[in-house]
Amino acid sequence: MVLLEPDPFLSELHKMYERNKSGTVWITMKRTNMKPRKSKKPDPKAEYVCLIRANDGKRHVSTTISPTQYPKFSQSMVIIMKGAMADTLKRKEKKKENK
Amino acid sequence: MYVEDFEAFYEQAIGLFKARPIETRYSIKFRNSEGKLVLKVTDDRTCLKYKTDQQADLKKLERITSIFLPLMACGDLPAEGVSGSEAGQQQQQQQQQQQPASGVQASSSSKKARRRG
Repeated sequence: MVLLEPDPFLSELHKMYERNKSGTVWITMKRTNMKPRKSKKPDPKAEYVCLIRANDGKRHVSTTISPTQYPKFSQSMVIIMKGAMADTLKRKEKKKENK
Repeated sequence: MYVEDFEAFYEQAIGLFKARPIETRYSIKFRNSEGKLVLKVTDDRTCLKYKTDQQADLKKLERITSIFLPLMACGDLPAEGVSGSEAGQQQQQQQQQQQPASGVQASSSSKKARRRG
């Protein structure tokens, strides 16, 4: 699992969608404080971030988003997702088209 | 497991997160070959899924993703209040001053006040 900064993660996500026209792309989001499993003491100072993972079955990448970073990241990620999905999803057939 | 109505899925998903913020995760699966999109929210006890193949549902994807990202990053929706850490509280106050949040009544009334003034 490669932990990247938000911008490289977005580039990688975009590439995944481009490469996987015949496969599946997963994106998972979870709230975490990223503490290592071995530490038994709960750390009161630990800050919570949003962990975002993406994988296409072959390559796994991830990034963490802090409260200050999410607005810009959110917009960019949604643009990438919509751009990748828009062509393949079905459009509703409009009945009033032919006049 | 599969929820037919998006609004119900949305409400239940937010409810799951608010009840168990650390255990809840949100997944998006997109199969290009079939043109199918599946949204999944689970807290390892309950699993909610919404599937679609309609382009019109991309707006719903955008809406739910842009809600879950701040929820997971901050602990709560920035304009509504704080249930996260102190650091999150300070950052949220700064965000409220700098960036009015979208889709919230309080922020829209403050926008109107600014325009009039």
